Amino acid sequence: MTPLTISISEKAARKAREFAEKSEHEEFGLRVGVKGGGCSGLTYTLSIDADSRPEDKVIEENGIKLFIDKKSYVFLAGTILEYSDGLNGKGFVFNNPNAKTVCGCGTSFSV
Amino acid sequence: MTSSTTSAPLRETQVNAGAEFDSSEGGLALPAHFGDAAREYTAARQSSALLDRSAFGRLRITGADGLDLLNRLSTNKLIDLQPGHGAGTVLTTNKGRIIDLLVVANLGEELLVITSPGTQDKVVEWIDLYTFGEDIAVEDATQSAALLSVVGPQAAEVLGDAVAGLDLFDSTDVELGSRPLRVIRTDALGIAGYDLVVPAEHAANVWLDLADRGAVPIGELAAETVRVEQGVPRFGRELGEDYNPLEAGLLPFISFDKGCYIGQEVVVRLNTYRKVQKRLMGIVLDEEMPDHDALVEANGGQVGFLTSVVDSPAMGRPLALAFVRTAHAEAGLAVEVPSGSRAVSGVTLELPASAGTE
Repeated sequence: MTPLTISISEKAARKAREFAEKSEHEEFGLRVGVKGGGCSGLTYTLSIDADSRPEDKVIEENGIKLFIDKKSYVFLAGTILEYSDGLNGKGFVFNNPNAKTVCGCGTSFSV
Repeated sequence: MTSSTTSAPLRETQVNAGAEFDSSEGGLALPAHFGDAAREYTAARQSSALLDRSAFGRLRITGADGLDLLNRLSTNKLIDLQPGHGAGTVLTTNKGRIIDLLVVANLGEELLVITSPGTQDKVVEWIDLYTFGEDIAVEDATQSAALLSVVGPQAAEVLGDAVAGLDLFDSTDVELGSRPLRVIRTDALGIAGYDLVVPAEHAANVWLDLADRGAVPIGELAAETVRVEQGVPRFGRELGEDYNPLEAGLLPFISFDKGCYIGQEVVVRLNTYRKVQKRLMGIVLDEEMPDHDALVEANGGQVGFLTSVVDSPAMGRPLALAFVRTAHAEAGLAVEVPSGSRAVSGVTLELPASAGTE
């Protein structure tokens, strides 16, 4: 059973904080979402946002706030946001149990 | 849905001009002919013709992200389209199948999207499904205006200097009867053709004005004949989720270097590894027209199937569009089309056929 939440690993949270500090945000959250496109239909979006919007779902874990708009949340529930580093690292990785098919490069999916 | 209220004055005008109605597309009854389909065909081929394309869906898209979103959902590169320019593009599923072939015209203050007849609801739903935070508003404008098309080698002369030199899918304003109208070159029948978006209340007057300028009113019969001769695919026959854009001959509407769009991986792989299973071509038939979906055989085996059939004046014989298996899809192949207890002989050819259309 997939938990109906979105979580972020400790390493991913640390990396997100590093990016936010570089962009000189004091108060910030990590906006996590999806948008149409990519070979399979949906791609992930990540950005640093100063504040949440009224309709956002806000989740706090490992010292970081995640802002997720309602429509994206439907496609992301159960996702674990991780960070893969090293020479072959992919950076931020979405482990999304809703993704039934994933395109060759792994950046887009369909449900 | 029967004929819409907005088309009623136009319909009355067409009836007065001799229109006979026996075909229906997208819920709108369109004239089948105006008494002489052969003469109408000749006008489209040799001078200029006036075709009511109001059954084709039209969407108005406003908001800053319209081109960006459509660019992510369809095959052609739309992101750089400047005002006055446009493109044909294909909405594809993530399996690379055709949802619809669209014309996207950047009119400056808004985008005009022309869909196939009756597909506009599906296209709107598809766009909605993939709209998350984008600044975009999609409005079905099909009922509020007529789409009148002037086609044929002299079509530009009917519309005046403003359209001379207009490239495919580009748009401009023309003044007809002191009314400013938007005109988009769409070549919808595979010959020179210009679509006019006419507010419903002016449709009848503009239709009469265009006829006065010499554009001969034509019905679906003549238009369908020209379409098939030019090898232009039509939704429900040659376009739909049974086919991918490469099979349906839509290569000119695919960008291979624009980056990701839904279905891109499949479309690119089919093209790169030459895995396209069948493709659209013409078949000239020796005698009477079989069913438009009849099978095509060669050397005793099935090699394809018909999708459209017309009686072609250019060929002097029936002409079909057919999907033919790639291994057999070469011009000059002798085929047989079973029709009842007999088989009609035919030969494949590439369309449009330049010979025979003079």
